[in-house]
Amino acid sequence: MNQKTKRISVPKILIYAFLCIMVAIYLVPLLWVFSVSFKTNAEIFSSPFSLPESLFIDNYVVAWTAGKLGIATWNSFLVCVITLILSMLIGSMIAFAIARMQWKLSGLTLTYFMLGMMIPVHCVLIPLFTRFAKIGLSNNLWGLVLPYLTFSLPVTIYIMTGFFRSLPNELLEAACIDGCSIYKIFFQVCLPLAKTGLFVTGLMTFVANWNELLLAMVFISDDNIKTLPVSLSKFVGPYNTNYSQMFAAIIIAIVPTIVVYCAFSNQIVDGLTAGAVKG
Amino acid sequence: MKKKLLSILLSATMALTAFAGCGASGSDSGSASSGGSSSGAEEITWMFWDDLNATEDMISLGYKDVLERFNKDYEGVYHVTPITTNLEEYYTKLNALVASGETPDCFIVSPGPNLTTYVEPGVAADLTSYLDADGWKDTFTSDSVFTQQTYDGKIYAVPLNIAAACVFYNTEMFDKAGVEVPKTYDELLDACKKLKDAGYTPITISAGTAWCLSMLCAYLMDREGVDLAAMEAGDESWVNDKTIDAANKMLELSQYFQPTAAGDTNDVATAAFYNEEAAILIQGSWAIGQINGSNPAFEEKCGVFQFPALEGGNDPNRLIAKSDSLAMSANTEHPEAVIALMKYFTDDTAQKYTAEKGGKIPVTKVEYDAAAAPAQLAYVMDIFENASGTFGFLNESLKTTEAGSFFDDQMVATYLGSETPEEAFKTIEQWYVDNIR
Amino acid sequence: MNKLLQDKKAICIFVVPGLLLFTFVLFIPICQSIFYSLCDYDALTPPKFIGIKNYISLLHDDTMKIALKNSMFFLVFSCVTQLIMGLLLAGLLTNIQKGRNFFKNVIYLPCVLSSAALGLLWMFIFSPKLGINQLLLTKGITGPLWLMDTKGFITLPMWVIGFVALWQYVGQSMMLYMAQISGISKSLYEASAIDGCSKAQSFRYITLPLIKPMVGTAMSLNAIGSLKFFDLIFNMTEGGPNHTTEVLATHLYTQGFKYFKYGYASAIGVVLLILCLIMTALINNVFKTDQYES
Repeated sequence: MNQKTKRISVPKILIYAFLCIMVAIYLVPLLWVFSVSFKTNAEIFSSPFSLPESLFIDNYVVAWTAGKLGIATWNSFLVCVITLILSMLIGSMIAFAIARMQWKLSGLTLTYFMLGMMIPVHCVLIPLFTRFAKIGLSNNLWGLVLPYLTFSLPVTIYIMTGFFRSLPNELLEAACIDGCSIYKIFFQVCLPLAKTGLFVTGLMTFVANWNELLLAMVFISDDNIKTLPVSLSKFVGPYNTNYSQMFAAIIIAIVPTIVVYCAFSNQIVDGLTAGAVKG
Repeated sequence: MKKKLLSILLSATMALTAFAGCGASGSDSGSASSGGSSSGAEEITWMFWDDLNATEDMISLGYKDVLERFNKDYEGVYHVTPITTNLEEYYTKLNALVASGETPDCFIVSPGPNLTTYVEPGVAADLTSYLDADGWKDTFTSDSVFTQQTYDGKIYAVPLNIAAACVFYNTEMFDKAGVEVPKTYDELLDACKKLKDAGYTPITISAGTAWCLSMLCAYLMDREGVDLAAMEAGDESWVNDKTIDAANKMLELSQYFQPTAAGDTNDVATAAFYNEEAAILIQGSWAIGQINGSNPAFEEKCGVFQFPALEGGNDPNRLIAKSDSLAMSANTEHPEAVIALMKYFTDDTAQKYTAEKGGKIPVTKVEYDAAAAPAQLAYVMDIFENASGTFGFLNESLKTTEAGSFFDDQMVATYLGSETPEEAFKTIEQWYVDNIR
Repeated sequence: MNKLLQDKKAICIFVVPGLLLFTFVLFIPICQSIFYSLCDYDALTPPKFIGIKNYISLLHDDTMKIALKNSMFFLVFSCVTQLIMGLLLAGLLTNIQKGRNFFKNVIYLPCVLSSAALGLLWMFIFSPKLGINQLLLTKGITGPLWLMDTKGFITLPMWVIGFVALWQYVGQSMMLYMAQISGISKSLYEASAIDGCSKAQSFRYITLPLIKPMVGTAMSLNAIGSLKFFDLIFNMTEGGPNHTTEVLATHLYTQGFKYFKYGYASAIGVVLLILCLIMTALINNVFKTDQYES
């Protein structure tokens, strides 16, 4: 009837329809798992697609305690925060030296670190595993921090170098005239100005390490220091047939990320994209 | 500004120290089934392939009891801490500990090539003198329980219990379908057909966990009268009428498997049996602990029979059997404590539990209450006592663990139809030529 | 000023910690890995030099062939599908105002979630008795064995896992393209509109050429990512049934940490490394030359 007035928006409607289907593909699996995680095992098979009759939270209790997901979340948090702080500190120090300071080998050093970006972690898995076992770093959270830190350095250095290079020369000169030491220039002048860069690299580091499975699985065998992806895989692994508990475990594993993501989604998406573009 | 920086640094350092403390304390705390270590006691570690706090398996729970008894009785003298992993990553973690010089004082191991890998480089200690010392060895049912643990006349591991592979069946389904317990392979086929016609899934089996399917093949091959030793040594080719015939029989049976057999893991396949979704499960008798632990109500419906005979085939009374064994680290600083612990695993209380609760066959001459034991154990014991001989699981009795896995994989490939039986055994023969002989 | 910036001591303090870390945790292990790949080395005995024997057995290893095939499949599949879907979504999203952030954020969400958890989630959705097959059954259809089928050159489970990977990571490609498209000056489009170009035409003649460098970036991210692919496969099929869904990373894990063939697994690692280097070089070259031509 009002086809004429709405003519321009017909493609728009199609676009929105398509996007809504996409959103359904993204959200329905997550919502389905969320709803079945409150059911008993029998209910999952008798009425898989209805809302749970009552909230059966035993699943969560079992996953949290027997599945040790509570401890695992804490371990993951520890490892990620330590790695985050260290990688931002060490990475931006190197980036500053490469971008701003004058020495012959700076170009070569940058290339050396950049090579790390192309190396998959699988290639160093076995030497690291045997070496760490010998020096007591296997089954130890520090044994995870070291490789995580190392593998997050290239990207951190690359992005931070870009940020430090973009700072105006006058700024450094002014600081110099004020009589600042080089350390003061770095920590108090340049670093605060590169906040965006720190945010971007920190985000990338944190997300990557929070989700890392392979290294953590190989290096850690003690249940009490396993990280979240490992505890989850082991709890849900092939040795269980209690589905509802496993669904609860999956939800426990992804909910913290979803909550943080919902709160800061725009910054996170833009930050990670900026990082990926630059990396 | 400076103050702020300082405070950040300070809090970071604090976090680091807290973290270091956590890492250090984490590395030596195993599962918490121990009653707290008393100062001055000799500390030993014991490594096992199941999580003692989360498991429902009766045998694992029995082991947990043993540790608790040991720690209580020897309070202030010895103290054992368990290191647990799951079955899948057990050997990975054990090897990592061995490589780092932190071999657990006592660890569980499957006999066969697995044990060999620890005996050959001298990781496992010779236990012969301890066994001979105070009549410990005489408490065992016979010397033959040590066969798989003996190398050059020296015993390197102590068996804890024996499990035999049998056929478990749902008596209710059999009754309803009007099926008798099959004695021969043809009767088994017939039974499966009747079960299928009655609307049941006849057999639940796991090809996702390759050794489960391979166990069926091993039984069929043995019933055919295959000479495994000759094939391993290279005196005979893996490609022969008997092996191929066995694989063809497996394919013939496969039409009665549950449709998801290709991907189901062992646990899923076993669950299908005790949840009464399928009538027959071919499995080791350790499954009794799993079945009764997960669905106690099913115990009375669960029957057991011996793997059927082949007409004109080999001796039908031969059984696939396997034992859990404990080995001691050759570098342990507390051999007495380890031996004392091992003796707790083979004492009457533990062995009675093995039979009555765990449903596995005890290794010592213990008197147990047959009425208290799981109903299935009595059947398994009958079969076991009538057995004319035992042989190992192929993945644990072939030359290397990899040879076992390779054989298992070829059987799965045959089942999935990606290879014919002839091709499968040709591949195995070629692999043996390349890697073993 | 220059004196300050040439301060050798400060440079050392800034660079040495990272350099040491990088050398000990990455560089030396890589060299060790190459050495191990030339050794017969299992967990319990010391490495013994055997030359290129490991590489020769790699050539005869059927599982290795499957793993290579599957890894290549992922590489091609993810590059192609991510390019198409990423561009499509980016194109659509730049054309709408209302709800753009919502759609963008929802589609990007799985990128930040643990692929271990998502792998398990999809494993259940595609399992024989739950999820999709349960849904199909209510319509009277018996669904296929999504993750267990073994027929065909590229088996069904590989397509399923490929789909899940696309589902998880397409948000990243989408965002990369969106960032690039929104960087294109509006005046270009306005000018083309005045010249009478349709939307499709301006997409073809303005957007596509201008985002070409980003296609290169996104593709190399996809390529390296799909070569390293481990978490999803490990939690969805563990390489089974019968190794038909094995990829390089899972094969390396199995050989190294199940059979303890450290030497052999190192050889697989070296192959993986070489593939990664080749792919990076290849993609960079292709898209660099293109850039100069245009």
